[in-house]
Amino acid sequence: MPEPVTSMPVSLEVNGEQIELEVPTRRLLVHFIRDDLGLTGTHIGCDTGNCGACTVHVNGEPVKSCMMLAVQAEGAKVSTVEGLAAEGELTALQQAFNDHHALQCGYCTPGMLMSATALLERNPSPSEEDVRYALQGNICRCTGYVNIVEAVVAAGGSA
Amino acid sequence: MLLREVEYARPATVEEAISLLAAHDGARALAGGQTLVNVMKARAAAPDVLVDLGQLSELRAIGFSSDGLLEIGSMVTYAQLTSSSEVEVSRPILAEVAATIADVQVRNRGTIGGNVCVSDPTNHFPPLLVALDATFTIRGDGGERTVSADEFFLGVYMTAVGEGELLISVNVPPSSGSGDGFAGLTIGTHGTYIVNAAATVSEDGPRIAIGCVAATPVRATAMEEALAGGDFSEDAVRKAAEGLGTSLDPPSDVHGSGEYRRHLAEIAATRAVLQAAERRKA
Amino acid sequence: MTVTEQPTTTLKKGFVGQSIPRKEDRRLVQGQGTFFDDVRRHGMGYVHFVRSPYAHAKIVSIDVAKALELDGVYGTITGDEVAIHTDPFFEMSVEPGGNITDYALAVGRVRHMGEPVAAVCAATRELARDAAELIEVEYEPLPVLVDAEESLKDEVILHDDAGSNVVWSGVFDWGDVDAALAEADHVVKIDRLHFHRFSSTPLECAGALVEYDKGTGEWTLTCNHQMPGVGAIWMAPALRVGIDKLRFVTHDIGGGFGNKICLHPQYVVLCLMSRKLGRPVQWTEWRTDQHTANAHGNERTFLDVEVAVRSDGTMTGFKVRALDDCGAFPRYEPLGCIIWAQVTPGMYSWRNVRVDFTQVCTNKSPVSPNRGYSRMQHLWLTERIVDIVAAELGLDPVEVRKRNYVKAEQMPYETPNGCVYDSGDYAAALDIALDLIDSGSIEKRREEAASRGKLLGFGIGSTLDSGTNNFGQSTLLNPELQFSGNNEAASVKLDIFGEVVVTLGTVPQGQGHETTAAQVVADILGCSPDQVNVRRGHDTWFNSHAGFSGTYASQFAFTGLGAVKGAAELVRDEMIQLSAAVLQAPPEAIELSEGFARVKDGPPEAALPFMALGAIINANNAFLPPEFNPTLNHRYVCRPYFGMVDTEKKTGQRTRTYALQIYCVVVEADPETGEVDVVDYAAVDDCGVRINPQIVEGQVHGATAHALGAALHEEFVYDDEGTLLTSNFYDYHVPHAMDMPPLKTGAMESPSPVAPLGAKGMGEGGGGGIHCICSAIQDALRSAGGAIVHDSCNPPHRVWAMLQDPEAMRANVTVTSR
Repeated sequence: MPEPVTSMPVSLEVNGEQIELEVPTRRLLVHFIRDDLGLTGTHIGCDTGNCGACTVHVNGEPVKSCMMLAVQAEGAKVSTVEGLAAEGELTALQQAFNDHHALQCGYCTPGMLMSATALLERNPSPSEEDVRYALQGNICRCTGYVNIVEAVVAAGGSA
Repeated sequence: MLLREVEYARPATVEEAISLLAAHDGARALAGGQTLVNVMKARAAAPDVLVDLGQLSELRAIGFSSDGLLEIGSMVTYAQLTSSSEVEVSRPILAEVAATIADVQVRNRGTIGGNVCVSDPTNHFPPLLVALDATFTIRGDGGERTVSADEFFLGVYMTAVGEGELLISVNVPPSSGSGDGFAGLTIGTHGTYIVNAAATVSEDGPRIAIGCVAATPVRATAMEEALAGGDFSEDAVRKAAEGLGTSLDPPSDVHGSGEYRRHLAEIAATRAVLQAAERRKA
Repeated sequence: MTVTEQPTTTLKKGFVGQSIPRKEDRRLVQGQGTFFDDVRRHGMGYVHFVRSPYAHAKIVSIDVAKALELDGVYGTITGDEVAIHTDPFFEMSVEPGGNITDYALAVGRVRHMGEPVAAVCAATRELARDAAELIEVEYEPLPVLVDAEESLKDEVILHDDAGSNVVWSGVFDWGDVDAALAEADHVVKIDRLHFHRFSSTPLECAGALVEYDKGTGEWTLTCNHQMPGVGAIWMAPALRVGIDKLRFVTHDIGGGFGNKICLHPQYVVLCLMSRKLGRPVQWTEWRTDQHTANAHGNERTFLDVEVAVRSDGTMTGFKVRALDDCGAFPRYEPLGCIIWAQVTPGMYSWRNVRVDFTQVCTNKSPVSPNRGYSRMQHLWLTERIVDIVAAELGLDPVEVRKRNYVKAEQMPYETPNGCVYDSGDYAAALDIALDLIDSGSIEKRREEAASRGKLLGFGIGSTLDSGTNNFGQSTLLNPELQFSGNNEAASVKLDIFGEVVVTLGTVPQGQGHETTAAQVVADILGCSPDQVNVRRGHDTWFNSHAGFSGTYASQFAFTGLGAVKGAAELVRDEMIQLSAAVLQAPPEAIELSEGFARVKDGPPEAALPFMALGAIINANNAFLPPEFNPTLNHRYVCRPYFGMVDTEKKTGQRTRTYALQIYCVVVEADPETGEVDVVDYAAVDDCGVRINPQIVEGQVHGATAHALGAALHEEFVYDDEGTLLTSNFYDYHVPHAMDMPPLKTGAMESPSPVAPLGAKGMGEGGGGGIHCICSAIQDALRSAGGAIVHDSCNPPHRVWAMLQDPEAMRANVTVTSR
């Protein structure tokens, strides 16, 4: 039977890279990603898991990284916004965001991209309704979602 | 915000999990974390030990028992429910309701076990499972037992799962000719419920459970009796709902007064029953 | 170099006017934006504020000893230290409100739940949070004031130095409203209307990373303050230093909407801590703290409204008593007591207006300018008046608006208090909105909705975004204030290898300034926006800012781009002179295009790339004659012309431009639950010349979402103990993707005759969505009791109450007819 501890090593893959670090068990995954790994593209917008700015993929599924402990990601494959564009070549979705003015301040954008990327992987040609349903967990205070939805639908259409 | 220091253990088997929960006072099971992590961030609760159930794959199965009950492992996520063919075939209301909980990210982690064990009055599954007459399998050091829905929810954040025990599965009877309904008013689309109601109409009559109006789901027994005759026309159902509100003593808060919630209870119950009756016909 | 505003030149449209994709996007979509919390410094400490759990209490004692014993804690600071090392912040009001003492931390007393009482700094975020729990504060609760009308009684005094809870009061009286009421065919009286408390809640919370340089006594604040010009004016005297000791650096900011203007109290604490501890210190606001203790929008109650109406539906005037609740500390207030007067008549041509305005303190979160600041509340009043008058007198809401709107032929239109509406055709804009929403089909849709048991409502909301503030209006509140006019700066240079580099004084939080500035410069210099590098954010050391620098009050298109235009033109003129000298042609023969200076119709060799010009100035300048000293590096201050205000009559130009938005909305109310669904929505915007139409439209979308959230869900609600009940996104519900209705947008362009580019400031949206949704709900309820909508926020429980007791909601309104 494992003994409870307050700190433990965690081993996981982040954006394709193997990471091994000792981490306090109380540390949230989002702080691990931002502060321990220096990947600051994932953002924090609230205290209660509503806003989705912290959305990353864990084993291919979008989750809110502020609602997970880093130690719960043991052995997982985690991807963040920094892992989307390979060598600075924007994905079709990222390009669609630019083309359709789907961001203003850019703070919700990484979370939006992660949720939308997961959607497009499962549903390559989503309807507007599908997109809104997939982005329901990502709050934006700048755009009113209009152009975000348009961009995701467009990125789907072009795939 | 940020958690207090906490001890953490990751058991590999259900037995280990139960031993850990029994061995440490103030140990809490960590399922999907969509409620517990939030509560710990706010420092509203600070368990001494977290027992992470994440590795317990035996709790993630959905299957059928020998007598046809739909057995849902306590660690089954809302997302799994929405895509399960077993659920779709035997009790689709579970998937329909799960699909309206918050958002994709929460559904990928949140579990049915967590939803019922938290027993927050505004949660979706407690009233639904009461209406469906589900049972709950609990295991502890002393063995395994099964508790009915009417006996499972004991209070706010309190259930029949005791210290050193673990919820193993939620067991739902198959629909076999009954119809289910779920209705209410949320704060925004797919937001938290202000009042909700679940209903099942079967050959045995209706079962109606109201959520958000008391510490635990409330069976609308008077309304059930009024509908025992089998007339589920809109007029009959509305009439049967009269008086439900005055029998309740719901809380007042920012989203509505007690009086408003009494009224909503009648509306939600009516809509849930009409929906259930409609589906039974189909 | 400072030059007063030039008469408008219409920029020949090249890149200006095109929806070019934004330059900011590339880094932001890759998660490579730099928000202040992304920045790290070696040895930095993290700060957590200890905040009051009481809305009103005496601080009996604070004991930090246990916190200091915790390993990894670097230090603490309390109100007592703040009172020793700083002076109170400067207050804008006259006595007694002006005597309020406001320090960076609570000193001796707390006046709102969440008010910072102490701060602790530690090696990690978690340790700072742990240490905060070990700081022991003893309070003695005092009676709590959460109601403005109660506060007005002055039975419980919040600020002893002031001796009254009234921050400011005054009467604004233009025309002759008493005569208008006496002569009116109908007088419509509305006892009470209430504009609720909410805010824009930008997704990125406030914060800063502050470093102190012991050698120079300078602080560097890497932060997200959206109006550093004014932030420094508050902070420097409080810290007892010159203004140049504060360097504000912003990079990317995750939304502001006015909620990042009053950050100076927390920032002063950070300055003190970084100096005291000898290390960089960082603070990131928590969402709960933003809702509880930073920046609500003004809550305003309108009492005893009386409206004079002629039998033909012409409204000739109104009077009202306005009671504004600014929370525990005024800070940017009482400016809100006057800013509404930029749009005194709303969009209507009545000439007789009296507003008896009082602002009081309560034990709630302090307010700060929130998207639509102060004009939104007043415009809501005018729109409610129009709707209620139309409903009571049986007038068509479209006809009544068109009859009373200021007409296009009257532009530029001087309002009763001397503001000048620059341009706009309100009736035409309304027609476009009506067309977009297919208003002709409303009655048929109403029937169809009724067959499904729903109450359909159609509403109109017209609103103005007054932009480019004259800070001289502050002297109408306090004649001793030394503020007037406005300014914004920008610099443009052509560097050694031909790079065009622009630095702005503004502080964008998503408005796309890098892109629109590049468009303007590209057209002036004759290159492409890709060749124009607009430095990200604001930096005091760019020296491209002025006293009022920031991004606020719908003015970037005027002052920000005006400064960019001015600087670019100075550079252009020198480029032409220099090219003429080098190419030996007269200046009139030189044109700049495609990154080259050429002789018009000259041979291909008669061309110089920008690089050549840059190289000459920077590295190869010996041959230039002594009297010719081009620098190709210019700072320009755009100073809009206002004229002086008359403090007696309280008249004068307060803003220069007036963009408009007209909204039409169709809602369906569920009579059983009170839930309101928005099923169709049209928004028409006219902000004059649109530098980048896609960016303008994006602002309209965002303003719509903010207004929708505020109209249907978002409310900061307090209980009697002063506890904020809606401090997180569960209870304070903002629109998510599935909450948004289908949105149709239209645009008109009525160029501003006074703005440097013909472009009016825009973006705030004037709360138009709130006005039209209130209008629609009232329309929906006409057939179900006819309740009057008297609150700006109408969640289901409130709509249900209106359905249950419409008489109570109607008793509010009386009509006296001749």
